[in-house]
Amino acid sequence: MGGKFGYALRETLQNLRRNVVLTGASMLTVAVSLSLVGAAFLLGYGVDNVTQRWQGGIEFEIFLNENITAEQQARIQRELDASPDVARSQFVSQAEQYELFKVLFADQEEYVEAVTAEVLPPSFRVEPSIADADVISALGDRFKGEPGVKDVVFAEETVRTLLRVSGITQSVIFAVAAVLLFAAALLIFNTIRTAIFARRREIEVMKLVGATNWFIRVPFMLEGLVQGLAGASVAFAIVYLVRNAAQDAIRNVPLFDGFVVVSSQVATTGALTLLLGAAIGAVGAGVAVTKFLDV
Amino acid sequence: MIKLDNVSKLYKSDVVALRSASVDIKKGEFVFLVGPSGSGKSTFIRLLNKEEVPDEGRIWVAGKDIAQLSPWKVPFLRRNIGCIFQDFKLLPTRSVYENVAFALEVIGRPRHVIPSQVPAILELVGLGKKFKNLPHELSGGEQQRVSIARAFVNRPLILLADEPTGNLDPTTSVGIMRLLDRINRTGTTVVMATHDRSIVDTMRRRVVELDRGTIVRDQTRGVYA
Repeated sequence: MGGKFGYALRETLQNLRRNVVLTGASMLTVAVSLSLVGAAFLLGYGVDNVTQRWQGGIEFEIFLNENITAEQQARIQRELDASPDVARSQFVSQAEQYELFKVLFADQEEYVEAVTAEVLPPSFRVEPSIADADVISALGDRFKGEPGVKDVVFAEETVRTLLRVSGITQSVIFAVAAVLLFAAALLIFNTIRTAIFARRREIEVMKLVGATNWFIRVPFMLEGLVQGLAGASVAFAIVYLVRNAAQDAIRNVPLFDGFVVVSSQVATTGALTLLLGAAIGAVGAGVAVTKFLDV
Repeated sequence: MIKLDNVSKLYKSDVVALRSASVDIKKGEFVFLVGPSGSGKSTFIRLLNKEEVPDEGRIWVAGKDIAQLSPWKVPFLRRNIGCIFQDFKLLPTRSVYENVAFALEVIGRPRHVIPSQVPAILELVGLGKKFKNLPHELSGGEQQRVSIARAFVNRPLILLADEPTGNLDPTTSVGIMRLLDRINRTGTTVVMATHDRSIVDTMRRRVVELDRGTIVRDQTRGVYA
C-alpha cells in the first residue's frame, strides 16, 4: 500500500516538473480567475455589512432610547402601523443590535467585550411605500421629537448607489471569472493531455502487465488537483493581502466606516476559493484522463 | 488453460482476422502459431489478454470466460499473462533493473519484493551483470531477455510471445528459444506466434497453423509446414 501511494506521489511530482511551462500557465489562470471570484465575494460581504441596515427598501431607522417605556414604544409602533406612507416596519431589539454589532466588530475583540446589549439603542427600521425623497424625509422627521426617540437616521443617497453599483459590479466580475475559470479548466485539460502523451509508452507497459485503471489514472488526476489547488492558494493570498491593504486605506473614510470584511468571512471566501480550485483541477484532469487514457 | 470455442474476429466488418477458431491448450504446453503475415496470429494473441474482443465465440483463459470479464477485472487477468513482442516495448529512459522493477511496482507489489525478485529473474535470463544498463546499450537479444524478465518476474501462468525472434539473428534467436523452453519447463504455458521455420522445425512442439484467419492444421510435435 505504501508502495502504491509512493508511486502516485512520485509520478505526480515528476509530471509537474516535466511540464513546468504548461503547469505554470494553468496555475496562473486559476489564480487570476479565482482572485476575481474571491474579490467579488469580499466586495459582496463588505457591501452587505455596510448596508445591512438598509437592505430590502429600508429608508430610515428610528433609534429609541435604551430606557424607553413600553407605552412609548407601543405608541410609535401604532403610529407606524397607521401611517399610509409606511409599507413595512421592523423592530430591532437590543439583543439583535448586539448581534449585528458583534458581526461588524468581530475583528476588534476589545469592543465586543466592552459593549453589552444594554448600551445599544433598539430601533424601528422603516420601509416607506412612496419613493419621493422629500416625503420620506418629512415622514422620518415626524418621529424625531417624539418621546423615547433618540434619533432618526436616513439611508444616504451614496448607500443606495453603493447597493446598486456593487450588485452590477459583482455580476460583471463573476461573469469574467467564469470565463477565466473555463479557460483554466481547458489549460489543465491540455496539460494533462500532454503529460499522458509524454508517458504513452509507460502507460502501454502498465496496461500490459496488469496495472489497474485507477493506478494509471491517479497520478494524472492528482496532477490536475495540485494545479487547481496551487492556483487557488495564490488567488487566496492575493485576495487576503488586497483586503488588508484596502481595509487600512478606507479605515478613516467616513462613508466606508462600516465597510469591513471580518475574518470569518475572509475564511469562508478562502475555503470556497480552494474548493473551486480543486474542482476545476479535478474536472479538467478527469475529462482528459477519460478521453485520452483509454483504460 | 486456454480454450477457444468457435472464435471469430472481424476488422471493419469485412476483413476476417480469425474465423471459427477452436483450440484447447493444456497447462504447461508449448504451442507455436504459424502462418504467413496477416493470417491472424497476432489477433489470436491479442484476444487472449483481452486487447481485442471476439465478435463470435467464447474464450476461456485460466479457467475464466474472458468475454464475461468486467473491464475492471481485465488487469487481474493480465497479471496471469506475461507478454513479449518483436519490438521489446522497453522503457528507454529506465535501466534494465528499473524496467523489470516497473512491472512489479505498477501492480502494487510490496516494495520489499523488488530487491529480492528482480536480481533473481535477471540472473535467470542471463543479465545479472547488466542491470544498470539502459536498453539502447544492449544488443537486440539482450533487450529481448529484459522483456522476458519483465514478463516472467510476476511468475505468470501463461506467456504470450508475438514474433519474439522477428528482429533477431538466428544465433541470438536460438538463445531466446532456450530461455523460453526453460520457462516452459517451470510449468508456464507458452503460446508463440512466429514465422521462423528453423525454430519450429528444431523445437518439434505443438503447431497450430493459420491461413487467412482459419486454423488449417493443429499438430502435436509438428514442423513449420
